[in-house]
Amino acid sequence: MTTLRRGALVAAFALVAGSAGAQQLIPSPTLDAIRARGHLECGVHLGLPGFSFANDKGEWTGLDVDYCRALAAAVLGDANKVRYTPTSVQQRWPVLQSGQVDVLSRNTTITYSRNATLGVNFQGINFYEGQTFIVRTASGAKKPTDLENASICVAAGSTEERMAADYFRERNLKVSIINFQKNDDAIAAYDAGRCDSYTAGVGALAGQRIKLRNPGEHTIMTELISNDPQGPVTRWGDERWQAIVRWVLNGMIAAEHLGVTSKNVDEMRTNSRNAEIRRLLGADGNFGAMLGLDNAWMFNAIKQVGNYSESYERTVGKGSPLGLERGSNQLWTRGGLLFTPPFQ
Amino acid sequence: MSDVAAPSMPPLLRRLRQGYFATPVDAVVSILCIAAIVAIVVPIVRWAVIDANFAGTTRADCTGEGACWVFIKARFGQFMYGFYPVDQRWRVNAAGLLLVATVCFSFWKAMPRRAIAVPALWALMLLVGAWLLAGGFGLPRVETRQWGGLMLTVFLSVYAGVLAVPLGILLALGRQSELPVIRLVATIFIEFWRGVPIITVIFLASLLLPLVMPAGWDIDRLVRALVGLAFVIAAYMAEAVRGGLQAIPKGQWEAAAAGGLGYWQTTGLIVLPQALRISMPAMTNEFIALVKNTSLVSIVSIFDLLGIAQASLADPAWVGLNKEAYAFAGTVYWIICFGLSRWSRHLEASRKTTH
Repeated sequence: MTTLRRGALVAAFALVAGSAGAQQLIPSPTLDAIRARGHLECGVHLGLPGFSFANDKGEWTGLDVDYCRALAAAVLGDANKVRYTPTSVQQRWPVLQSGQVDVLSRNTTITYSRNATLGVNFQGINFYEGQTFIVRTASGAKKPTDLENASICVAAGSTEERMAADYFRERNLKVSIINFQKNDDAIAAYDAGRCDSYTAGVGALAGQRIKLRNPGEHTIMTELISNDPQGPVTRWGDERWQAIVRWVLNGMIAAEHLGVTSKNVDEMRTNSRNAEIRRLLGADGNFGAMLGLDNAWMFNAIKQVGNYSESYERTVGKGSPLGLERGSNQLWTRGGLLFTPPFQ
Repeated sequence: MSDVAAPSMPPLLRRLRQGYFATPVDAVVSILCIAAIVAIVVPIVRWAVIDANFAGTTRADCTGEGACWVFIKARFGQFMYGFYPVDQRWRVNAAGLLLVATVCFSFWKAMPRRAIAVPALWALMLLVGAWLLAGGFGLPRVETRQWGGLMLTVFLSVYAGVLAVPLGILLALGRQSELPVIRLVATIFIEFWRGVPIITVIFLASLLLPLVMPAGWDIDRLVRALVGLAFVIAAYMAEAVRGGLQAIPKGQWEAAAAGGLGYWQTTGLIVLPQALRISMPAMTNEFIALVKNTSLVSIVSIFDLLGIAQASLADPAWVGLNKEAYAFAGTVYWIICFGLSRWSRHLEASRKTTH
């Protein structure tokens, strides 16, 4: 009864506050701390091709790094105001839990048990990772079921081996799975032509393909046989900060959906007659202010970093050495899984 | 068999024959060994030198079958300085020169008040070095997360090593102390840190400490790793010094006491100088082990020489050049450790005393 009454009270309060122009923001200690120190603290992978790595000039780049940059641009107006904490698999949770980073953008799979037990929340999906197969383009195999009677190199006892075996058994397809001691041996054997295919996650395959002797002759299938979505992570608490983290990612996806790019964002802000674009870029309404940010928050992020597509193509897609197809990471309107709720 | 070689043979050939081909068994063993060396060395030299690519700036310039040293060239700054800002790298060089100067000064036999001057000089070097590297007091600050590469390896080795020496000596003396409390504390400290693998210490310092520390308290993660390393090495150094202490005959203590010297005077003037001389080779060994053990910090994402070499392999522009990265890092480690071991041999030789 008391909870109900309190809920009603909060709702009534929110209504009043809402009508008063959202001047009453719940406090966000994380946002305050970021503004006070003048930079965003972002936890990234310590070295994963395409997702997070330092280039020759010592600048961090990659898909996960781009998200940090967009967040910094939205919050502080400058995509360069980020400091990176490279983390190993074991380190990623403690650095987030102890407050050393404001957000973790580190190629981390979203799972129920992590959400439930680690005190962390997943704020959306910036990469649909999943296991798939690499084949020689000349073989003509396009999807996993085309691999009937083919041979597949795997590391013995790996998760990938089990997933692949289960997948083909379930569909009653015959494949010969050839075991190797280590992943590297399995790839080398595939490269040498001992097997028709090798299997791993999309991101890993993209990194491994460029190590093959003739990367251009190999295709990574876009159909996935496992589901390992990845995205930015925050700690429990500070709901306003969590909303910011979530909606900056949504904003990058929405920008692609609405056709806003880093090139046309200025023009779009002044001339666009699409209501959602105008709200997203801060031309109309006060969407930034609702979360305690500048109304140009997404304008800055898109102008300095780009929409999702620009970031994807530059880091892991066709504009990068990895050359990945969009696959599942295509917009929901174009046959992919990438989705954002509306900016209304 | 000593007359086997004809007297007319040139001396080199004669020595070869006597040394390697004196008997049929010798000859077979020698030929097998030479064949093995050729089989190993020739492909390495082909890969590293003859077929290697040196010129250019990108991966595309590596056309030969051999090593792609272009990669090391392009990344050399990062391998040496990590992410240290380019316009501030002179500070690292200055700190390095300071280190070299301090080492050289330590060899100056005629230095006045040498027993006090040398430790004071090292302490001063550590302070000035830390100021140069970290900044403050007039210099722009450079966060430790921007440090990396060889510079970080040397920093960890020198600071952990130099801090471990006085701590190790105190612990060794404490373990020999006649006061039970001090003896107990020193023994527990030594046995604890000697019993824990370094990798565990680094993990605990990096992951557990921030979780248990009160909010607002934040010790730099490099400092945490440094202190962890220093404690472990101090425990090993203490055992090395204890060996030296135990080699000093009890008669010397008694003679000093009879001469009216107290504990600290006897220790400082008579026992320690001899004990340290004896334990110097063992302490140098610990230091060489430390240099290599610093590479363990790469597991907590501190980019020392090995860590930065590994991290650079994630750049798609250079991916797949594992051999080059590890060969380079390994060679640098080897040069440092070989240099140190030659230095310790030199120290032993120059300090040899006749009893």
